[in-house]
Amino acid sequence: MWNVIKSVLAAFFGVQKESRRREDFTSGRVMPFIIAGVLMALVLVVLIAVVASLAAR
Amino acid sequence: MRMRLVRTAVGMALTGPFEVVLANGWNMPVGVTDLSRDIHTLHMVIFWICVVIGIVVFGAIFYSLFRYRRSRGAKASHFHEHTTVEVIWTVIPLLILVAMAIPATATLRDMYDASEADMDVLITGQQWRWRYEYRGEDVAFISSLATPREQIEGQAAKGEHYLREVDQPLVLPVDRKVRLLMTSDDVIHSWWVPDLGVKQDAMPGYINENWVRINEPGTYRGQCAELCGRDHAFMPVVVEAVEPEQFDSWLAERKAAAAEAAMGLDREWGLDELMERGEQVYGTICASCHQPDGGGSPPTFPALAGNQALMDDRERHIETVINGVSGAPMPAFRNTLDPVEIAAVITYERNAWGNETGDSVQPSAIAERIAD
Repeated sequence: MWNVIKSVLAAFFGVQKESRRREDFTSGRVMPFIIAGVLMALVLVVLIAVVASLAAR
Repeated sequence: MRMRLVRTAVGMALTGPFEVVLANGWNMPVGVTDLSRDIHTLHMVIFWICVVIGIVVFGAIFYSLFRYRRSRGAKASHFHEHTTVEVIWTVIPLLILVAMAIPATATLRDMYDASEADMDVLITGQQWRWRYEYRGEDVAFISSLATPREQIEGQAAKGEHYLREVDQPLVLPVDRKVRLLMTSDDVIHSWWVPDLGVKQDAMPGYINENWVRINEPGTYRGQCAELCGRDHAFMPVVVEAVEPEQFDSWLAERKAAAAEAAMGLDREWGLDELMERGEQVYGTICASCHQPDGGGSPPTFPALAGNQALMDDRERHIETVINGVSGAPMPAFRNTLDPVEIAAVITYERNAWGNETGDSVQPSAIAERIAD
């Protein structure tokens, strides 16, 4: 679980270690990555909206 | 000392060309509003950030090319990932972008804050002219290109403000917040005045907002900035910024002129329309004493029909209706009737019931006499 989150964060940032990439691609299951990616995209949107509304005050 | 000279020389070599460009008006103007100044500062800051990045990046490339060239025996290193380097070249641009976004967003917020304006001007784009309406003031006019055809067709020398001059500029006060509401009657236009820091689309069916608070009186020129058809290049914008008191008196003048136009004082009236109007006025005001047939009730109310003195002396006729006759029941109508009614009824009396003088009295002439 933690590994999935770390990999999704790395994908958001755009930099990933080759060794971790290999691990991810051999774990055999894609659904956890997709779900975590969608959820964290939502979290990012909410986070930016909160920061923007705080800044606009 | 020598270091300083070298530094100055390097500095001039770097900024010199830019100074020339700026002095030639190729750069964005600083403008005459706080906002246009902010925009200019932002533009210059980001420009210099780009210059520094360019120097660093291309400097690194050229230094590497030169320092590690093959003739000196340099060997390329082969590696596929270097997380640290990748993180660095991701974080630095991120920081630079955020650092640029903060002042840019602050300026954008100011640009869109059209609240608490002192006055509203509705700007309507039309193919191919602008219409300006001072909201709530009953003042509106169309501003069209004033450059003569001969200059456009090459039969005369081009003037100083070729294609950037209009018959009636938009007059705005300095030191007041003016909200600009933009829309269009036909296609999308864009109202652009660089010195005011405003470039706003005028779209049919929409109202876009912008605002200006001009700091310095002067004439500011711009153009339509959205391709809008054949004469897109022939619908310039000219803004005349004046002191607030001067603006107020200008607006009052325009209002008076608009009121005159509404009353029909701005044009020549024909004999027929004066007669028609005059008959109504005579019927409601004059006929009770002078009788519908103009026969009067002598000796108190003289007859107007066939009255030779009336027909011979037009001036005295006008004078009598405007100011009345002292010592007689004839009242002064200068304050009870408007100039159109007075002119019409005099014209009627001079041409009805066989009084065929054929002359008419213009409302504008009456208005002038009453004003004297």
